[in-house]
Amino acid sequence: MAYSLYLHIPFCTVRCAYCDFNTYAGLEALIQPYTDALCQEISLVAKSVGGTLPVHTIFLGGGTPSLLSPEQHGQILTCLAQHFQITQQCEITFEANPGTVSLAQLQALKVLGYNRISFGVQSAQPHELKLLDRLHSFEQVLSAVEWARKAGFANLNLDLIYGLPHQALETWENTLFQVLPLGAEHLSLYALSLEYGTPMRAWVEQGKLPSPDPDLAALMYETASARMSDAGYAQYEISNWAKADPALGDGETPALACLHNLQYWRNEAWLGLGAGAHGSAGGYRYSVTRSPKGYIERVMQGTPQPFPFSPAVVESEALDVATAMADTMLLGLRLTREGVSKARFAERFSVEYTQVFSQELRELTNLGLIEQLPERARLVPPAYLLANEAFRRFV
Amino acid sequence: MKSRNLRNFCIIAHIDHGKSTLADRLLQLTSTVSEREMQAQMLDSMDLEREKGVTIKASAVHMTYRAKDGQEYELNLIDTPGHVDFGYEVSRALQACEGALLVVDASQGVQAQTLANLYLAVDAGLEIIPVINKIDLPAARPVEVTQEIVDLMGVDAEQVITISAKSGINVEAVLEAVVKYIPAPTQDVEKPLRALVFDSHYDSYKGVIAYVRVVDGILNDADEVFALATETRFRPVEIGNFQPQMVAGKRLQAGDVGYVATGLKTVRECRVGDTLTLFSAKAETPLPGYQPAKPMVFAGIYPVENEDYPTLKESLEKLQLNDASLVYEPETSQALNFGFRCGFLGLFHMEIIQERLEREYDLDIIATAPSVEYEVEKTNGETIWIDTPADLPDESTINEIREPWMRIQIFTPQEFYGTVMDLVTKKRGQFVSQEYPAPGRVLLNYDLPLAELIIDFYDQLKSRTKGYASLDYHFHSYRTEKLVRLNVLINNAPLDALTMIVHKDHAFHKGQALVSKLKELIPRQMFEVPIQAAAGGRIISRANVSAIRKDVLSKCYGGDISRKKKLLEKQKKGKKRMKMVGRVEIPQSAFMAVLKLGDEQ
Repeated sequence: MAYSLYLHIPFCTVRCAYCDFNTYAGLEALIQPYTDALCQEISLVAKSVGGTLPVHTIFLGGGTPSLLSPEQHGQILTCLAQHFQITQQCEITFEANPGTVSLAQLQALKVLGYNRISFGVQSAQPHELKLLDRLHSFEQVLSAVEWARKAGFANLNLDLIYGLPHQALETWENTLFQVLPLGAEHLSLYALSLEYGTPMRAWVEQGKLPSPDPDLAALMYETASARMSDAGYAQYEISNWAKADPALGDGETPALACLHNLQYWRNEAWLGLGAGAHGSAGGYRYSVTRSPKGYIERVMQGTPQPFPFSPAVVESEALDVATAMADTMLLGLRLTREGVSKARFAERFSVEYTQVFSQELRELTNLGLIEQLPERARLVPPAYLLANEAFRRFV
Repeated sequence: MKSRNLRNFCIIAHIDHGKSTLADRLLQLTSTVSEREMQAQMLDSMDLEREKGVTIKASAVHMTYRAKDGQEYELNLIDTPGHVDFGYEVSRALQACEGALLVVDASQGVQAQTLANLYLAVDAGLEIIPVINKIDLPAARPVEVTQEIVDLMGVDAEQVITISAKSGINVEAVLEAVVKYIPAPTQDVEKPLRALVFDSHYDSYKGVIAYVRVVDGILNDADEVFALATETRFRPVEIGNFQPQMVAGKRLQAGDVGYVATGLKTVRECRVGDTLTLFSAKAETPLPGYQPAKPMVFAGIYPVENEDYPTLKESLEKLQLNDASLVYEPETSQALNFGFRCGFLGLFHMEIIQERLEREYDLDIIATAPSVEYEVEKTNGETIWIDTPADLPDESTINEIREPWMRIQIFTPQEFYGTVMDLVTKKRGQFVSQEYPAPGRVLLNYDLPLAELIIDFYDQLKSRTKGYASLDYHFHSYRTEKLVRLNVLINNAPLDALTMIVHKDHAFHKGQALVSKLKELIPRQMFEVPIQAAAGGRIISRANVSAIRKDVLSKCYGGDISRKKKLLEKQKKGKKRMKMVGRVEIPQSAFMAVLKLGDEQ
């Protein structure tokens, strides 16, 4: 079975007010040593396998991977190709800030082997971008998309955020109205969540910003859902849509869905590499130390560890079968069409989910939150916004 | 027999004026407790007491002191409870003494309980020694506070002792004054034994320990004892005095303060205020003043999880061993299932019991809003007592309802006169009289329904007077009032645990306030939940908790899974702590909502 690789790039030009990811501004001097360490970690982990692992998705997330030079990207991708068996169709994505890319850069990255870009667009409204501390303008988004096409990228994702303080339904609709014509293959729409430790949460707590209205956010979600469908997108996860393309042979999940993220939602194995990355493989869930400096030191001085660990892994827990089964349900229910596949579940655990979770599934069905089909269990559309009620049964 | 150099005294003070700290210092000065054994607030043995900084159970300590006149004195210090809920225990403790130290905080000055306790002590005929404490604090104003005391008691300024118990300044002068001014007790050992029980506690080895002051006669350790009020007969396990731990002795005689380990199983069999005498030579008349403990405030206590009911029952039984004023009986609520109706001396007492159940017995409990006991005269001539509002019979069968009224004293700086008056009026209080015992401050006497006093009165008084006003209260009388039952319906079903009895003129307003508060406290559910208040067969207020629209983790990727699962687990636990009533999840706080209606009402 093929693996996925997640590589974390913990550098940003500025930290956005809403973001609680593991990323740092002002550490540009560490980028080259970090790239070296990342390659070292890749080689240490790959060697611990005792064979060559097949890899069918690679995702460079951040942070801002587009801050790395094409040479640094080349160093990483070459290293990956040396140590893993990259499949022919492998999806290779990097995240980019629309304000920090150029045509030349995108062309260089395409040549290196990347075939998908995920742009953090967030909004088409200047004042909202400012509120979010984003450095880019919407004009730059237009250029970035144009350059990406020119460079030959045929698979683009755009991230948008709704439910912002002060945001009106009309403003959100206007953002969609401006973004949809760009024709991206994939869109992720996220409700703003006020994470602990972020400036935005502090502003709301101090009363400097109004608290986002969850009912309005719900309305925005439903409105977006309708617009997306009109524009020819198929929803396949609670917050994710891909262009419907029957020619590509869409199954329950569209062919243009993010294959890398599907790996998470199907609860299949991936390796997490780089500072603050999480992985799930070999019966463990684990995480790598968060500090870039600490990461570099640990990796460069460390000795090989048993698979799937690297010397920079600081936390791990063994996953027992019961947890793995519950996680498979919780994550699978996020997939709005595919749901939890009965066949996959039975194949993996040698038991039917209807046996293991009969009570939970019956309750959720009675509450009108899920439907149980012969080949899958999934949320029903009115329950997409109430999915925690279902998720809580599996923790 | 030669009379001994004996002094029995207590310390009386407003809460937090430093009574326990002074007691500690006296124990140290008389070497009753070594430095090593000394822990702050030695006399307060319960953790909760130390934390809340108040004395819940009185205690009595025997000390010896060599005074400057060269003679050795035996001193018995009786520590009295510092909260008005325990007023009866205070009055019993005073009966055991000949003198009292009146402790006043040097920055706060005379407060309501200073006055109340002073009057009690004067009534008990005690010699009073005024002491100003905490003189080393930056905010201390000993000259003004001395003047307050001089005005109040008619003593000379020189008679007021100024100390800092905390830093030990001038504490010796207190002991000298005790010896000099407090009279020795009469020591008539010829009369039949009469010993006043002024406190008790339960000891798992020796049974109920009665704290006694021997007024007449002699008790030897082998004597068989008889309690006059409860008519209990027993042979003591041992007798002795507190130093401050129990030290057994052979005899206690007239004038002595000590303990009798009764071997009895519950404090009910040997109550505070009772008189002990010899079974073989009974005294004819008991010492005056015995009252059975009378609960004033009632509330339902229920386990959050139904299966904890037996544990709750056991825990209440254990608490009652040590607390004669706690009463309870089984109660069934439609909404909360099986629990207990509990009676308390006051709100503070109720809070302590709740905390002890949660902390010492590790129970998750729901307490309903406190209520008082109503006297209901029905049209068929029958009179019934109602301490559970949901039990109030139908209006048409009621002739009249009488509710308990308190006489309250509020002592406040004059500038707050208006706002205090306004608060009392809003709470249906009636002005009785006013006095000016200290310059710039006024003592206001009001009558106020107890039901209003226990709902948010003290907090509002404190906030309106910036913490300056102090309060004291005593039961006054039952009065006929126009009262009605206010029902609350959640999701169209009456929730009996939220039923209140309110004044007719306030029903509309209270109903509205309660409904809006509940709307705030009850979280949104997967369906719309109507909340209604009804009185006199009519819905008087209604609000809807709208169905939850959005409860979903928008983002969940590889790196998030562990963290998102923790979040879901936390939500799940929070939901588990709520009480499922019908299909509605109701948080514990909602059952106390009536306490939080705030100033708006």
